[in-house]
Amino acid sequence: MAGSNEVNLNESKRVVPLNTWVLISNFKLSYNLQRRPDGTFNRDLSEFLDRRVPANINPVDGVFSFDHVDGATGLLNRVYQPSPKNEAQWGIVDLEKPLSTTEVVPVIVFFHGGSFTHSSANSAIYDTFCRRLVNICKAVVVSVNYRRSPEHRYPCAYDDGWAALKWVKSRTWLQSGKDSKVHVYLAGDSSGGNIAHHVAVRAAEADVEVLGNILLHPMFGGQMRTESEKRLDGKYFVTLHDRDWYWRAYLPEGEDRDHPACNPFGPRGRTLEGLKFPKSLVVVAGLDLIQDWQLAYVEGLKKSGQEVKLLFLEKATIGFYFLPNNDHFYRLMEEMNNFVHSNC
Amino acid sequence: MKRDHNHLQPNPDPSSLRGAPSTGKAKVWDEESAQQDCGMDELLAVLGYKVKTSDMAEVAQKLEQLEEVMCNVQDDGISHLASETVHYNPSDLSTWLESMLSELNPPSTFDPFGAAGTAAAALDDSFLVPAESSTLTTLDFDNINRKHQKSGQQIFEEASCSDYDLKAIPGKAIYSQKTQPQTHDSSSSSTPTNVKSEKRFKSTSGPPSPSDIFPPPPPPAAASYGIPTASTRPVVLVDSQENGIRLVHALMACAEAVQQNNLNLAEALVKQIGFLAISQAGAMRKVATYFAEALARRIYRFYPQNPLDHSFSDVLHMHFYETCPYLKFAHFTANQAILEAFEGKKRVHVIDFSMNQGMQWPALMQALALRVGGPPAFRLTGFGPPSHDNSDHLQEVGCKLAQFAKKIHVEFEYRGFVANSLADLDASMLDLRPSEVEAVAVNSVFELHKLLARPGAIDKVFSVVKQMKPELVTIVEQEANHNGPVFLDRFTESLHFYSTLFDSLEGSVSSQDKVMSEVYLGKQICNVVACEGVDRIERHESLTQWRNRLSTAGFSPVHLGSNAFKQASMLLALFAGGDGYGVEENNGCLMLGWHNRPLITTSAWKLTNKTTAISQ
Repeated sequence: MAGSNEVNLNESKRVVPLNTWVLISNFKLSYNLQRRPDGTFNRDLSEFLDRRVPANINPVDGVFSFDHVDGATGLLNRVYQPSPKNEAQWGIVDLEKPLSTTEVVPVIVFFHGGSFTHSSANSAIYDTFCRRLVNICKAVVVSVNYRRSPEHRYPCAYDDGWAALKWVKSRTWLQSGKDSKVHVYLAGDSSGGNIAHHVAVRAAEADVEVLGNILLHPMFGGQMRTESEKRLDGKYFVTLHDRDWYWRAYLPEGEDRDHPACNPFGPRGRTLEGLKFPKSLVVVAGLDLIQDWQLAYVEGLKKSGQEVKLLFLEKATIGFYFLPNNDHFYRLMEEMNNFVHSNC
Repeated sequence: MKRDHNHLQPNPDPSSLRGAPSTGKAKVWDEESAQQDCGMDELLAVLGYKVKTSDMAEVAQKLEQLEEVMCNVQDDGISHLASETVHYNPSDLSTWLESMLSELNPPSTFDPFGAAGTAAAALDDSFLVPAESSTLTTLDFDNINRKHQKSGQQIFEEASCSDYDLKAIPGKAIYSQKTQPQTHDSSSSSTPTNVKSEKRFKSTSGPPSPSDIFPPPPPPAAASYGIPTASTRPVVLVDSQENGIRLVHALMACAEAVQQNNLNLAEALVKQIGFLAISQAGAMRKVATYFAEALARRIYRFYPQNPLDHSFSDVLHMHFYETCPYLKFAHFTANQAILEAFEGKKRVHVIDFSMNQGMQWPALMQALALRVGGPPAFRLTGFGPPSHDNSDHLQEVGCKLAQFAKKIHVEFEYRGFVANSLADLDASMLDLRPSEVEAVAVNSVFELHKLLARPGAIDKVFSVVKQMKPELVTIVEQEANHNGPVFLDRFTESLHFYSTLFDSLEGSVSSQDKVMSEVYLGKQICNVVACEGVDRIERHESLTQWRNRLSTAGFSPVHLGSNAFKQASMLLALFAGGDGYGVEENNGCLMLGWHNRPLITTSAWKLTNKTTAISQ
């Protein structure tokens, strides 16, 4: 047992920079402490350990942020915007003018990862990521602080995502372009990618326009064990055991992983044929054990006649995008940038 | 920091050389702090983790060791790491990992009942005072007349000790290990389980001083570490405030006009604000009204009257205490730290700079009373401003506390000092006893910032505190920078800060409490905006700023841990509208915030160098 673990640890250390290895291993360790074998979750310890940053209306490296709370539901979104060209406007929240009347400014509604259980919109890893997104994609990012499992199971995260999308679409100050509308993209990593998919489905059914979906190693699964899951179990920070735990914590009690939330194109899934579903960019990390499910998702979209581009990063592990110290990060940013600007 | 970066390039981080991009878009992420990194890995720092580049391999090794140990041990072996171990300062990865490793492999030479313990016990015997005696003395700095305790004084009854919500402090708060509260029997029972759990507590509660490991904190300019700096301004908008944005802009325009001494314009704008405010609802209207009034006072030079009658300000303070969790959080977290610092001490002395109605102390005394091994002798010295009537306010507070102490069988001694400013204090007044005999904790809740109004005052107070040779100094302050040199900046910061505070009050059940709390906060707003010089006492500063002051003055951080965090969270959950409140851990300090906006911070400190604590 210990022997095989040694092999595992050495392997993952070979494929990522040392500080990345430290970061993700630390998450793995602290998450192990937080999950209890009986399926409950040590939320206090989790909140204590999570590194958080406040919003900042003062621009830092070209980006400022502020939080918005829906008084009725308590749903919080953190809004990130490029700092105004005019320094005199720094430090002021302007909710009256649109982002631009001439250019299109993409608004990316971002769902952070954490397997539906961990992290928040103000977690340092996600705050930093969103700031980078703003700069690289010249976009506005709205990070949704959705309710998490196991306290709030399916469909809470999707409900919150849908509420956030509707809120974003209805803000006049997020409009841009000559057509004066909010140019929305949905994006997310891990569980956030899963949320993006399901919110996009709801949007398509309600005829709410979403221009594109960006799914960063999205969290999907199913009852059967795929080849990649067997091959990569425990090798690169993630185990099947923990994946199972998170699905049990998110899905309704008694459900299995073929529930359509987990397995949208599985035996209980549905086709999206004929639905006005947004184009998708699906990013798969070659060392992610659930890649077979992600690839199956891509196939499912194709079979439904939907537009999808697959970015397969062969040597990437999960979480490669937290630190800009590897090729995959820059590849991803370039693809995302192109994706949100290809409509203009 | 206020730069517009259009280019992105990968950071030439030495620790990433193995995986560094050699092809393609070689872009560098231009971090301004590159020259200030103190050896820290910048990429991890921005994510909230402080790891020196040179320590990276060692930290990795600890992670591997922990992984291995956790695989080899049964499930039970690690579950206690999650449920019972107290964790401290998770940003300091190296120390955090080390503390868990030593949890799982306790050092064999550890002896919780070492020589020091027995020596202290021997000393204490000779000082033992008959149980249940409480002595009460008051030294009134301005007025040596003693007044008899007034019975039935309304103010104090509202804060009567029996009403103090001890349920808000669950039993576990009293000790950090998961043992049931013992009886009041003061004989200590050292059963094997007690030994084990105490040992566990000690091995994690006493991490090596961070100042031994870390270089002194970086100067505030290191903005890109992702920790709040003096120039971070968190803004949270509640949807109702979206409509109030115009009002906010008008307020800021008015403040700008005031700053530029364009008083005609300012006057016109103030009137406009009045109209705009009426159309608003809820918190926004009230906040705008207070700020407008303060601006008007500044414009017309109609400054606020002298500080309120003491009894009225007590009433306001009390309602504020009841309405929202800020004061309770402050007292609770400070008490938790004090309890830990007083572990094993037989005589303790709390010096409270923020005595008010003494509401912080019953809970601490109760916790001490229930301590394993029995309560220490408890001495309390309290400071407060003079009253405007002839009442001896501090004396009354002391009497009430003495009664309470008697009820719970804690030996109690009290002294009250009246002074206009803490800077008038001298260590010689305090009848300090040797630190081997009596452990001292100094406590200040929302008081220190007032000293910044007078040059030299804060330094004098720090120097006096050092002479007290405290085990611990607990400080609670507002998390905001309302003391910048530029009026407009102060105005804008405080506008956002108080908007958030007022918003958090909206959910209050009792409207009378709410109104009183708003008046209480309104006085602060008035002071920040309308006053200057020595009259402007609400000079709030952020944690980063206080950290700098304290470390310069010769204090080092003492970390508050996951147990205090958890219990503070539980406390918050008891408040209606508790959904918006949250506790955050920040490098060993605890922050209470509303919808992610930190509002108050509790920090704890000790002398960096005990032997040089001589008067300067």
